[in-house]
Amino acid sequence: MDTAIDTPARTFIEVAEVWVPDGDKLVLGDGNYGTLDAFAEASRRESFAWGEGLPGKAWAEGRPVVLKAFDGSYFKRTEAAKEAGLTAAVAVPVFSGKVLKAVLVVFCADDDHRTGAIEVWKYSSGVMMLEDGYYGAARHFEWVSQHTHFPHGQGLPGGVWASQTPILMRDLGSGYRFIRADSAGKAGLTTGIGMPIPVPDGASYVLALLSARGTPIARRFELWDARSARVGKGEPSAILTDGICAREGALWVGETEEPRRVAAWQGLIGRVLGTGLPVVESGTPGLTAGYETLIALPIHLDGEIAHIVAWYC
Amino acid sequence: MQKLVVIGAGMASGRVLEHLKETAPDAFDITLFNAEPRGNYNRIMLSPVLSGEKTYAEIVTHDDDWYGQHGITCRFGEKVLSVDRDRKVVIGEKGEVPYDKLIFGTGSSPFIIPLPGHDKQGVVAYRDLEDTNAMVEASGKPGARAVVIGGGLLGLEAAAGLRLRGMEVTVLHIATHLMERQLDEAAGYLLKKDLEKRGIKVILQAQTQEITGGDQAEAVHLADGTVLPCNIVVMAVGIRPAVQLAKDCGLTVNRAIEVDAQMQTSDPDVYAVGECVEYMGNLFGLVAPLYDQAKVLAKTLLGDADAFRMKELSTKLKVTGCDLFSAGDFAEGEGREDIVFRDPGRGIYKRLVIQDDQLIGAVMYGDTADGNWFFGLIKDGTDVSEMRDNLIFGPAFQGRAQADPMAAVAALPPEAEICGCNGVCKGDIVAAIEAGAGDLGAIRATTKASASCGTCTGLVEQVLSVTLGDDFVLPTSQPVCGCTDLTHEDVRRLIKAQELKSQPAVWQELGWKTPNGCHVCRPAVNYYLLADWPLEYQDDLQSRFVNERNHANIQKDGTFSVMPRMWGGITTPDELRAIADAADKYKVPTVKVTGGQRIDLLGVKKQDLTAIWYDLNQAGMVSGHAYSKGLRTVKTCVGTDHCRFGTQDSTGLGIKLEKKLWGSWTPHKVKLAVSGCPRNCAEATCKDVGIICVDSGYQVGVGGAAGMDVKETERLVDVPTEEEAIEWTTAFIQLYRENGKYLDRPYKWVAKVGLPWVKEVLSDPAERTALNERFEISQSVYRKDPWAEHAEKRAEYYQPLADLTQEAAE
Repeated sequence: MDTAIDTPARTFIEVAEVWVPDGDKLVLGDGNYGTLDAFAEASRRESFAWGEGLPGKAWAEGRPVVLKAFDGSYFKRTEAAKEAGLTAAVAVPVFSGKVLKAVLVVFCADDDHRTGAIEVWKYSSGVMMLEDGYYGAARHFEWVSQHTHFPHGQGLPGGVWASQTPILMRDLGSGYRFIRADSAGKAGLTTGIGMPIPVPDGASYVLALLSARGTPIARRFELWDARSARVGKGEPSAILTDGICAREGALWVGETEEPRRVAAWQGLIGRVLGTGLPVVESGTPGLTAGYETLIALPIHLDGEIAHIVAWYC
Repeated sequence: MQKLVVIGAGMASGRVLEHLKETAPDAFDITLFNAEPRGNYNRIMLSPVLSGEKTYAEIVTHDDDWYGQHGITCRFGEKVLSVDRDRKVVIGEKGEVPYDKLIFGTGSSPFIIPLPGHDKQGVVAYRDLEDTNAMVEASGKPGARAVVIGGGLLGLEAAAGLRLRGMEVTVLHIATHLMERQLDEAAGYLLKKDLEKRGIKVILQAQTQEITGGDQAEAVHLADGTVLPCNIVVMAVGIRPAVQLAKDCGLTVNRAIEVDAQMQTSDPDVYAVGECVEYMGNLFGLVAPLYDQAKVLAKTLLGDADAFRMKELSTKLKVTGCDLFSAGDFAEGEGREDIVFRDPGRGIYKRLVIQDDQLIGAVMYGDTADGNWFFGLIKDGTDVSEMRDNLIFGPAFQGRAQADPMAAVAALPPEAEICGCNGVCKGDIVAAIEAGAGDLGAIRATTKASASCGTCTGLVEQVLSVTLGDDFVLPTSQPVCGCTDLTHEDVRRLIKAQELKSQPAVWQELGWKTPNGCHVCRPAVNYYLLADWPLEYQDDLQSRFVNERNHANIQKDGTFSVMPRMWGGITTPDELRAIADAADKYKVPTVKVTGGQRIDLLGVKKQDLTAIWYDLNQAGMVSGHAYSKGLRTVKTCVGTDHCRFGTQDSTGLGIKLEKKLWGSWTPHKVKLAVSGCPRNCAEATCKDVGIICVDSGYQVGVGGAAGMDVKETERLVDVPTEEEAIEWTTAFIQLYRENGKYLDRPYKWVAKVGLPWVKEVLSDPAERTALNERFEISQSVYRKDPWAEHAEKRAEYYQPLADLTQEAAE
């Protein structure tokens, strides 16, 4: 299939970490730092109060935060990040109602070849407008996105916003000719995954990850539906509703077949269901579909885990 | 090795091949024809391909490698021209292929409505990859518009896909709700709401008239004059089995190719499978029975015994975020019982239909988790009498005692949200109660709980009761009926506040416990909707009492009374002659002068109604609405024209009032009178509105009664001019229309709200003007003669089905 990506040079996201509340601080939970040991060590020593550093800012402001320059900012690990070659970060708070469950932070490294996009869209004046985004080398696509808005139901941000459901789009460039398609095609962007990010003040945010062939954000994407209105009111569980994998192809099943289902604490997706927290797992390919790293992000709606978005790279 | 030829590489025939290759890979030498230039793909997943949520590559079931590995000779892109059953050959465009066994898997073709303009470029069906690609192509133009004709499964999936691709999309559907074959009205309402949230415009009861443009379709025209500009028109109105080839070769074909339970056609060496098949009068469009057929056919071909059986089917709509489920039979019927669960805040609706202790139908929207469990109960015919109380809550709740709502509220933690609109938790309400808020009003004032949509009112009252114990006394106001816990006043308030403009919207958003109300609440809700949204809401005849449906009063012998309007009690010799002629012609046994100053024809047969209305219409008379919850009469005395004591033209004012107010619907009947002097010959002081003319002008009194209760009117206002008397009267009627409880006469309503409040509202000139304007907007719809409309359009409805008296005589 044309979304399969073999032996990519480097992935778009270099580092992923999960910060969890501990008293009045955020402390490190899971993390995948790859070979960036010094940055890993600096992170392990760190903790963040409300409003402090990038995770603390996402907590305090109750919204996803994109940070494209560390120097002179509120970022606390600037030196270690610079030494590791990291240049940008996105912090995504995971709220259940008004309660912060965790903050997922991903870091990217700038160079002229790495293409992809991490976008934060926000509802404003009847449409979804780009709040901020990190695009790597996809400069033109960044400019187009900044000058685009999506009404209800249109395009990835508008579709996610209208349905309050994660959506996995294929062929952003060639087959999918929405407003930004030409530019997406030129930038090599292929697959897009969008998800609603609930925040305490009720504002509507959509996080979109757009993956490029050469420097993919992930090589396997999974969307899990965990709403009790869909999977039942017994023990928490989730069913795999959509997904694609560079190795296995389509992960969804036809309507006469039963989808994959996991219960709480069954495997890594089950861990997300059980804890309600994001999971970042690496170095255990047996648990992560043969890939190096899994990042799984829960979306809490109406007091329950409604969806889990997982990507593997 | 036997030669097997398959015509059509669809999902059903593809599944036959899979079974054959799994079970007996070398049993047949197989040749596969397909008119499409490709093999078998999962056609029902074209919708996510259209939306961009799947690629075509992902939905290919059998690729070239698969056919190659299994030694199947593929003749794709080649049409079969004919089948010669005598020679046992299939004749394709590129030559003949002999067969020992032949399978028709020709599927179906989309039905195209032969509208003017249907053959223009840009008018596409939704059936295959070519159609899908045409739609994708059309969506590539920024700002492009699509019109989808057909609000069934395929049409809605096309609409959602095109919208996601950035198009402006309008869905036209001929029925009163979407997916009417699979959904009931309430679920159809929620689906429409969900699609509208995606920016898709849905027009119901749409009568498509023509498609206009040059070579290319440019607009769709509806019968009501609406013009919808478009770049593409998608027709998704249904399919018809593709059976011409089978017909031409002499197979037995009815609506489709007739097969037996082994999928054998009228020729023992020819089989058929899939959408081109008719089995025991049934056609097939969903995938599950096609796969069952394929399994049976594969076994039959291999000489194994099996038989196809019809099963219950369930429905799934492939629109991300729209969760619906339906199975079985959910039409209303004798002996059927409904269980309904609604959660307006979360957009959830569930309805189960039970007959003879068995679940026979289920419709769900928003929460489909238990759909398969209910489907199993339907298929198995399980006796559900033991689980009746908790059935709607699904398998997780079976075996539990019936929930005690008070215990459930008591068990809620303090952070449990009670009022979703204002985000008020149980703890907030308890804190307010502890601080002194002792009733619903105080809770609303201090916490805002139940102050917006009001659907949590019952829950808030339960928290009050749990917290205060017997210090809290439930308010005495009565719900409308057993279908809801809300009072009439709540329903009226919420219809306005939430802008509910249809009955399904009321049932769902206000959490009705029944599918669509009952004989008590439906007339009330119908009235509230038409009073509040006269232009948007369409009056529902089925929600009216029998007299209002028939536009005549039914009498105890089953005949009807017919009473033409006599404006202000004035008539003419011509009108009297017409009435006399009608009485003669239709053998009316009784002609009665009424207390409302008009003439009643009693004893008219139902089948004569339209004819007598027509005759009276021809004489210039209209319905007197003697049957309606609306304006009845305006009684007058002769006034200054003839009476020595008359102070004003009371007859003229009465006629003006009647001509202004007639046809308007009100919570209950309304009677007016105008007396020309305080001697009050028109008995105005016991009417709903009674005007007494005096030398200085007009005394307008309201709230009189002369029925079970007798009550004198109370003075609303004294005004010097006739225009002001009309303005005040109209404003009063409109205020009553907008605020009265259904079936409360004005005197009861005034007693509830208090005359001082009525006076305060109406004494504001701007408010009076606004009320008059709103009344006129409503009258633009309702000031019309129902007799004329019925005499013209519905004459056949009133005719007897057969003249049994004559048959008996013979």
